[in-house]
Amino acid sequence: MMGRQVEQTRVVGTSVPRVDALEKVTGAARFTDDLQFGPDLLFGRVVRSPHAHARIVSIDTAAALQMPGVRAIITGADTPGFIGLYLRDRHILATDRVRQVGDPVAGVIASTEQAAEDGARAIRVEYELLPGVFDPFEAVQAGAPLIHPDLGSYDVASFLYPRPGTNISHHFRIRKGDVDGAFGRCDTILEDTYRAPQIQHVPIETHVAIARWEQTGEVTLWSATQSPFAQRSMIAAAMGIEPGNVRVIGNYIGGGFGCKAGVTMEGLAVAMARRVPGRPVKVRLTREEEFFCSFVRQALVAKVKIGATREGKVLALQVEYYWDGGAYTEYGTNITRAAGYSSTGPYFVPSVMTDSYCVYTNNPTGGPMRGFGMPEIHWSIEQVMDRLAEKLGMDRVQFRLLNCIREGQETVSGMTMHATGLSQCIKRVAKDIQWGEKEPPSAPHKLRGKGIAIMWKAPAMPRNAASEAWVVFNEDGTFNLGVGGQELGQGSFTVAAQMAAEVLGVPMDRVRVARPVDTRYSPYEWQTVASRLTWSMGNAVRAAATDARKQILDLVGRCWGETPADLDIRNGEVISYKSERSVGLDKLVICGLSMPGDRELIGGPIMGRGRFMPTYVTDLDKETGQGTHGMVHYTTGAEAVELEVDTATGQVEVLRVAAAFDVGKAINPELVKAQIEGGVVQGMSSGLFEALRLKNGEPLNSSFVDYRIVTTLDAPQEIITAVVETAQDDGPWGARGVGEHTMVPTAPAIANAIYDAIGIRFNEMPLTAEKIYLALAHKA
Amino acid sequence: MLSRPGLPSFDYVRAGSHDEVVRLLVTGGPDVRLLMGGTDLLVRMRDGVVRARTLVDVKHLPGMRTIAYDSAAGLTVGAAVTMNQLASNADVRAHYAILAEAASAVASYQVRNRATLGGNLCNASPAADTAPAVMVLGGRLVLCGPEGEREVPIDEFFLGPGKSARQANEFLTAVRLPPPRQGARGTYLKLGRNREGDLAVVGVGVLGSPSSEVPPGYAFSIALASVAPVPLRATAAERLLAGQKPGGAAFAAAAQLAAQEARPIDDVRSGVAYRRAMVESLTRRGLETVWRGLSAASSGRGR
Amino acid sequence: MATHSITLTVNGAKEQVDVASNWTLLQLLRDRLALTGTKNGCSAGECGACTVLLNGEPVNSCLVLAVEADGANVVTVEGLAHDGQLDPLQQAFIDEGAVQCGFCTPGMLLSARALLTRNPHPSEREIRQALVGNLCRCTGYARIVRAVQKAAG
Repeated sequence: MMGRQVEQTRVVGTSVPRVDALEKVTGAARFTDDLQFGPDLLFGRVVRSPHAHARIVSIDTAAALQMPGVRAIITGADTPGFIGLYLRDRHILATDRVRQVGDPVAGVIASTEQAAEDGARAIRVEYELLPGVFDPFEAVQAGAPLIHPDLGSYDVASFLYPRPGTNISHHFRIRKGDVDGAFGRCDTILEDTYRAPQIQHVPIETHVAIARWEQTGEVTLWSATQSPFAQRSMIAAAMGIEPGNVRVIGNYIGGGFGCKAGVTMEGLAVAMARRVPGRPVKVRLTREEEFFCSFVRQALVAKVKIGATREGKVLALQVEYYWDGGAYTEYGTNITRAAGYSSTGPYFVPSVMTDSYCVYTNNPTGGPMRGFGMPEIHWSIEQVMDRLAEKLGMDRVQFRLLNCIREGQETVSGMTMHATGLSQCIKRVAKDIQWGEKEPPSAPHKLRGKGIAIMWKAPAMPRNAASEAWVVFNEDGTFNLGVGGQELGQGSFTVAAQMAAEVLGVPMDRVRVARPVDTRYSPYEWQTVASRLTWSMGNAVRAAATDARKQILDLVGRCWGETPADLDIRNGEVISYKSERSVGLDKLVICGLSMPGDRELIGGPIMGRGRFMPTYVTDLDKETGQGTHGMVHYTTGAEAVELEVDTATGQVEVLRVAAAFDVGKAINPELVKAQIEGGVVQGMSSGLFEALRLKNGEPLNSSFVDYRIVTTLDAPQEIITAVVETAQDDGPWGARGVGEHTMVPTAPAIANAIYDAIGIRFNEMPLTAEKIYLALAHKA
Repeated sequence: MLSRPGLPSFDYVRAGSHDEVVRLLVTGGPDVRLLMGGTDLLVRMRDGVVRARTLVDVKHLPGMRTIAYDSAAGLTVGAAVTMNQLASNADVRAHYAILAEAASAVASYQVRNRATLGGNLCNASPAADTAPAVMVLGGRLVLCGPEGEREVPIDEFFLGPGKSARQANEFLTAVRLPPPRQGARGTYLKLGRNREGDLAVVGVGVLGSPSSEVPPGYAFSIALASVAPVPLRATAAERLLAGQKPGGAAFAAAAQLAAQEARPIDDVRSGVAYRRAMVESLTRRGLETVWRGLSAASSGRGR
Repeated sequence: MATHSITLTVNGAKEQVDVASNWTLLQLLRDRLALTGTKNGCSAGECGACTVLLNGEPVNSCLVLAVEADGANVVTVEGLAHDGQLDPLQQAFIDEGAVQCGFCTPGMLLSARALLTRNPHPSEREIRQALVGNLCRCTGYARIVRAVQKAAG
């Protein structure tokens, strides 16, 4: 790999204001539910299974069809095709059986939402109950009810290994080194089981989709989605139409965090629209549906065994992950894989044996959520590392510095680790939290503690996940930047605009990001997931802008008889360092230039195009999980927490969080810090508050009344953020992603700090006040 | 079953008089519901828990939105007075501070702009934040029915979750509180899963005042929310305090008794053991807080 | 189901509309008046995304019947700026980076506007208390609190 020189930049690296901020503070920003369709609009509501596992015996729609306003009803017979990102294991509507509470069984299209709801309530579905299984560890045991008897016939991505005849939809393995021998050389071995429950993403905007089936057979889908292009291909495949006939338009998204990736409910709108050609049909999830009818974060049972020498060197690790994938694991299977190939956490461990199982249960469907498995596995890794340090009598920070992965070391999946500022991040948060100093608690009934946790995460995606971008100009010299990645709050449009402005030598206010993303007019983007936009889309944007720049400089060079190397674009003008001539972009980007003398016209509208695909990523071996370049790179970071525990109530108050992440290059430092702050608080929320409470697959708290998230008053009093920049070879200006990473270490850092405060370990999230209080009472 | 996307159909009637409200209640039966702030009713109608054909809006009727204080007669709070009105009213803050404190513990600021004292009590939820305050203050509820008005002491009002002494043909018009006890101090302590904004997992109201009627010279009232089928007076704890010198030992013993008196259930918000323990923690903390106030006042007078 | 003819003032403009009994103020604003800046996040008064000012005070418009707003003065996010001049809160939200996905932003702005009107110089704790009914999943709240402080001057 080549080394990277620090480049002089004018826009990249500065904290320009968001390009979408003005629209968003004035109420002008259009989200999908805000789009106006006039009286044409019809509404869809969905009949959902009240049972976790049952056979559909019959569906009686006769009464519903007679209801006022009801136009049509769809059932599983209308949606025979399979759908799924990595494993096609579901239908848009259940056909013969339901596998989770909330599984869609029928859809009603009506003139108003209320009429559609009334119609849905008039549909009678007869079920024959089937035995269910609700724990991933139980689901892999022999004799467990089989949830997908046809698993062997499903289409599946080449890097996934389902086991037909079982509930295991993917088994990812690491076999690295001689694990038994390595444990034999360890002086200290620790073994335990950790659990993380299902949680939900809780975007403030629930899922919404509007579909219109045109008379031509084309279908337009407006959806609140992180994945317009993936929806195009997945819905087309499921509906048996050509992807080119599916047009997906993605407006601003009111928070995604992974639950709006892939396809969940959007196919319902399309299937309904097919029955009422020419009329748009809107389907919108209620908040209650949002909690379990799109994606939840998969629950995890993690069995961990780890060993180290008395000098503190970790030698061996053995883990088993049982992921509760829920009723359908079309997306969750790849989380299992990502967790497996990252199962050491950000540590160098020479001998590793990992078995990561994606398991079907009759719980809500698991899917991607901020961190893609990393928060769940770091929950165990980072507590185990703390305990090892304690057993060895070592400082928890020093222990991490001793074992954390460094450039040149081999990762768990056999890749040579690239340059990383992980040690710097650890040192930085230790300094910022004043590690080693203990303040007295603020009241006699409180105990104070500090904790640290570190993390890594690589973008998890297929090798061919591509990005494309274009730049076209307007006659005033402003330009439109086409991207296919979505703006869901992370600032992707702003960062993309900064990159293009940088290359093209114009101020930010000359850039127009072409939105909404529209699969008919926007360049391709695989999905807005995996914290990959700044990096992958950024590479495409840089290439597109560079392409346009080259065309411009070639044109001017030819006209002026100069070499492009002597030309530059500054503040919207092409200038020559040699002749000191200049010309505004507005004079040449559409209509070209006149040659001197004969005044022949040269040039024409400038259009720059760029693309990026990580072609250098290799497969991982099926048996060993080893490969030379199985993932593009890892972003690393650390967080340290100081908190107080109220011993009279068990309540935790997070006083301060220090966070440092190595983003390679902060394209917009304030946006990076904003990501860190948001991730810390979401991580804290998952660590202290959140769990979807399930009883035999039925959610008991599917509303904000009883699914509580962090509010203004619960959030930490202070979040100290630090940005570390160790340039990434394959990133634009050295950048790598950071959106998801920020929530990964928070929950274990809190758990470690609680241990520091009260001397009690907890193996299962969340650490509610009740759990802490009862543990304190038990200890006393 | 999942909640509806919107409200089911019903008719809205803006009542012109007390008599009209009673007439509608009598003729409409259980299909008629009274609309005050709507912050609970509308949510439960969307959830399908409450069904109603007619909502009768009563909050604009005379007196429903007024707070009247008289040092001799006490306080009269119209049933449709909002939580924010209560929390910011100068008389309430000066003489019935525990009620202002309880009102501001309800949900969020936006909700408190709509949620009413009458609605909070008439829902007869065990978790009603204002119930313990009104209980320790000795409140009486004014009910208007076919036979005219009657008053029910709050200790007799709550009959079970969602059940109260209000008859189907009656509606609550006001809550009356006796004149404040001289030198009284009170506090409402609420424990939710979030610092603020949540429903009470446990709520404890404590009122203390100098009293010549009991040997220690101070009388204490304690009421509990969210730990029994109804908001509950901790009478055994109160009796104990009536016979012991105030202070750490008595408060600890009283808090223990209060915890024993509680009859909590396991639900999605919390379990029995934690709720019981929190009754003890909060009662003790409440008694200590109130006692600090009382002690400071008495030493102030001594100077 | 009966409909009701109501008049109300929305962002300074007088409106006369017929509404069904079961329509919420949120539905009236979004679906009838096309003021879609006000967001629907939960329909249960828990998330605050639908917060508007009703006679100057913030309410969850999902828990107010449209008919209850008869005669009222309503301000939505679209009515915060005047004569092309942003409300200081809007400018502060931009300057402090208090916006991410933007879905909670309108409600946040209106809760904050009401706070600054009744308490022009709130403490950090008072700001956090005033916004406890406005959930945000993106920002972690710190920049929102800072923006309100900045707008308060």
